[in-house]
Amino acid sequence: MTLPGNKAVVGDAAGIADSPLSGRPFLPDGEGWSCTIAETPMLVAPDLAAYRIDAEPYYRPVGDEISVFEAAWKHRLPVMLKGPTGCGKTRFVEYMAWRLGRPLITVAAHEDMTAADLSGRFLLTPEGTVWHDGPLTLAVRHGAICYLDEIVEARQDTTVVIHPLTDARRMLPLEKRNELIPAHPDFQLVISYNPGYQSAVKDLKESTKQRFVAIDFDYPAPALEAEIVMREAGTDPALARTLVAIAACSRNLKGQGLDEGASTRMLIHAGRLAAGGVPLEAAVHAGIVLPITDDADVRQALGSAISACFA
Amino acid sequence: MSDLVDLDTPGVATPAITRLVRLMAAREALAAVFADARRRVAAYHGEAELEPWAKGVLALVDVNAGAGGLLAFWRASVELSPRLTPAELGETALGAAALCREAGSSATVAALAAFTQIEPRLAGAGERAIWWRALTALGRAAPDCVERVAGQAHRLVLPGHAADFEGFIEAGLKAAGRDRARQHAFFALEDRLALGLLARIGAGPGFDELEAGLKMVLTALWGATPNLQPLPPAGPDTPGRANIAGPAIRLPDVFPGVAGEASRRLYLAAAAHAGAHLFFGNPRFPIRKFKPVQMVLANLVEDARIELLAMRLYPGLRRLWVPYHVASPEDGPTTGALLARVARGLFDPSYSDPDALVGKAQALFAASLERIEDPLISLDVGTRLANDVGQRRIRFDGRGHVVEPAYRDDGLGLWDFGDIDPDVVAEIKMMVDAARIERHETEDGTADEEPTPEPAGRVRPKAAGEKGVVIATYPEWDAGAGVERPDWTSVRAALPVEGDTRPLQRALDRAAPVRARIARLVRAAKVGRAARLKRQAEGHDLDIDAAIEAAIARHAGEMPDMRVFRSTALLQRDLAVLVLVDVSQSTREKLTDGSNVLDVEKLAVAMLGEALEGLGDDFALLAFASAGRDDVRVTCVKGFDEPYGAPAMSRLAGLTSGLSTRLGAALRHAGAEMSRVRSFRKLILVLTDGEPSDIDVAAQDLVQDARRVVLQLRSQGIDTFGVTLDPGEVGSGPAIFGKTNAMPVRRLEDLPMRLSELYFRLARR
Repeated sequence: MTLPGNKAVVGDAAGIADSPLSGRPFLPDGEGWSCTIAETPMLVAPDLAAYRIDAEPYYRPVGDEISVFEAAWKHRLPVMLKGPTGCGKTRFVEYMAWRLGRPLITVAAHEDMTAADLSGRFLLTPEGTVWHDGPLTLAVRHGAICYLDEIVEARQDTTVVIHPLTDARRMLPLEKRNELIPAHPDFQLVISYNPGYQSAVKDLKESTKQRFVAIDFDYPAPALEAEIVMREAGTDPALARTLVAIAACSRNLKGQGLDEGASTRMLIHAGRLAAGGVPLEAAVHAGIVLPITDDADVRQALGSAISACFA
Repeated sequence: MSDLVDLDTPGVATPAITRLVRLMAAREALAAVFADARRRVAAYHGEAELEPWAKGVLALVDVNAGAGGLLAFWRASVELSPRLTPAELGETALGAAALCREAGSSATVAALAAFTQIEPRLAGAGERAIWWRALTALGRAAPDCVERVAGQAHRLVLPGHAADFEGFIEAGLKAAGRDRARQHAFFALEDRLALGLLARIGAGPGFDELEAGLKMVLTALWGATPNLQPLPPAGPDTPGRANIAGPAIRLPDVFPGVAGEASRRLYLAAAAHAGAHLFFGNPRFPIRKFKPVQMVLANLVEDARIELLAMRLYPGLRRLWVPYHVASPEDGPTTGALLARVARGLFDPSYSDPDALVGKAQALFAASLERIEDPLISLDVGTRLANDVGQRRIRFDGRGHVVEPAYRDDGLGLWDFGDIDPDVVAEIKMMVDAARIERHETEDGTADEEPTPEPAGRVRPKAAGEKGVVIATYPEWDAGAGVERPDWTSVRAALPVEGDTRPLQRALDRAAPVRARIARLVRAAKVGRAARLKRQAEGHDLDIDAAIEAAIARHAGEMPDMRVFRSTALLQRDLAVLVLVDVSQSTREKLTDGSNVLDVEKLAVAMLGEALEGLGDDFALLAFASAGRDDVRVTCVKGFDEPYGAPAMSRLAGLTSGLSTRLGAALRHAGAEMSRVRSFRKLILVLTDGEPSDIDVAAQDLVQDARRVVLQLRSQGIDTFGVTLDPGEVGSGPAIFGKTNAMPVRRLEDLPMRLSELYFRLARR
């Protein structure tokens, strides 16, 4: 969880804030500005250094996901990571980016995200309009791994911009600039997708789904999960095992009062609280029970089950 | 207070005691007893205080309580004098007098005698008043039952729970109605409902209140959703114990005498224990010729075994169970007490007991620890302990045995009574009785009657031959001749039948997870999709693209469009939907779980109905079936202008399968209904098997006719969607509704979710 500031989230707002324009007044009525669309200068020409991951992120493999990803990388196949929240999808991507030595550009998808937020847009400077690459374009140009987190949250018409990138064409058309960017040989697209959210109204288009190689993630087996909690939260083995048992109880309640069981991330949070001196019961209450449900009856039932988990 | 007596001396307020003394002087038989009672009451409270008491006696005289009534009150006065003041005794007499007016003298005598007994349990004037009020109400409705109730007062009135006594009387009067025999049975506590209510006095919360929570705890602990059922009380004075019957865990309706937090804990402990039985394999040993003592001991070992395993998994369970293991040698020399100590010893290896049996059980159990996963050790250890019991000639009464501690199940789930040896039948009969799976509807008071399929007063399903009134005629496309024949089909309004909604409600309860998902969709849809409006004259955000275009326009010397803001607005829903349900013969098809296709359709429609009601969209539900062109029956389950509530649900539940599927005519009718509704978007959802057919026409012609109707409706702005129950995908759904508008459901169980999903998808467009 505590990466040394390498995880850069580039969204709509972030993209603008990071640009050299930030801080300057933005007004659409600058008299005497020149406008030369034909030769628009590039606003950002980054070396992507900020997106590189220097230290090895902790990742504990649970299956063959690393070899599958590496094989996909070899052929630059787009990868889809499926799995419930907090089971390690994002950490896996960070780990793979580090392992493969590629910069990682992460975009957290949201409902208001437009295609321009991904591909880029014209901005105004005193000199005229300047094209600003969006995070996706940045990755395509300079050969980074572009990770679109929770892709279903974005509107379906937004996600189609990735289509030309994810088939044999491997290019990104920017119709506003009238430019066709062939993908950098090292560019790879990774999306994450939580089937738990998958409801009638939020689902990937079939045409999007079928472009990806998928890796399925789930909560790790109890022994493994305990190891991860121990390592990440700095707890002793017994406490980690108890937390994992509590998580198993809550996961049993999925669909029977809870929408999702406690995630590994939640366990780590509760574990950190407990390792920091908070009594276990209070730590579990604050770290797991309270965040996971608002229903008093479910809380009580979950509380009873949890109190059975520790002596 | 007492008009009669006051009339004797009009205008002058003669003290009641004076009048009473005068009155009693004339009654030789009573005078001596009265004088004695008066003296003894006065000895406690003083002669001066007797006035309210005397008024009470006079009230009893007024209502003709008779010599018996007076004597009973004096007896009560004497006995209660140490605790009650004359004023309180007077109140008592007034209460008794009120009862006497309704139920007569002998009932009052019994009530007074019972009152003397239970008075210490009643806290204050309020609870004493409850006693008399409840009995008076009973006397009014069923005077001959007062004595029965008075006779059982010690069981019905528990300290701190006087209100439950009144509730019991009210429930009994309600349940029995005017049926004298039932009244008698109820108030003599011979009725199952009465026993159930009796158990609830001074106990609770019971199974009903705790079920949902217990279900969740068991699901969390043991993974699978448990099948929890209530267990009616086995009989008077038999403490309730949990019972495992196959996959079902049956918990007592209520643990008598256990109330509040203690009841919650006991239910939790019992449920966790029973859940552990099922989780760690619930072997069923063939009963063969085991002696009851052998069974009981094997049960004890098995209980200890699964608890040990459970506590290895969930150490916190020890905290739940340990408070119940309090048996000690002081409990007495009975076999039951000894067995409870064996249970404690097995549960807690550190417990030591003077009786060798406990030590031996602990030693044998400890020796089998390496085979703890094997249920056979229970039988093994149990048998060896039973031999000891036999050699020591400890008497064991299997019939009256009650498992201790209270959270343990009765152990019958461990045994397979498949082929019962006649020799042991007698001994275990009583135990088996409790294990028999039968669900009694104890809640609504219909316990002992034969089950009635429909609530009283409802219309029974009509015979299939009955025709409704013709409400419309429609043309039909004759594919063979290539012409549309006018007024070819007649649609009749079939009278809706109000059915029993309980099975439907149960199905809805079972489908809770799916309903929760749909409810989430409803919430999401209801909040209204925030539509992003670009290029607005005002808004909370700059529309960057518009702003840039405006700037470019200025630079180019053009007139810029100054609408450069983004805003959001909630989308208005304006939608009407008509759900057309096919109830033809094909929906009678049985599924593996015993329900039929129509049941699944009903469930799906009920869930969609809930969703639509939640959304506030206009909707109607029609069901159709046909028997030839002049008899297309359409049942209106819910019209556009009525809310979806209990009546609509009852009509939905009342739908029955039968006849054929003349889809085209039904669609035309639906279209006609729809055209009367004013709405921006109109949808017809058809739930069918996708195979139109009728007795007087070729199926293929009906497919073409239906297709034609769908196209006509589309031209009228009504979108028709077909949800076809078509596991093999061989039906004509796509041919009728078009490829994009036909939605084949391959697994019937998916129908409820798919139907609602489809709706949400459509409603979004």
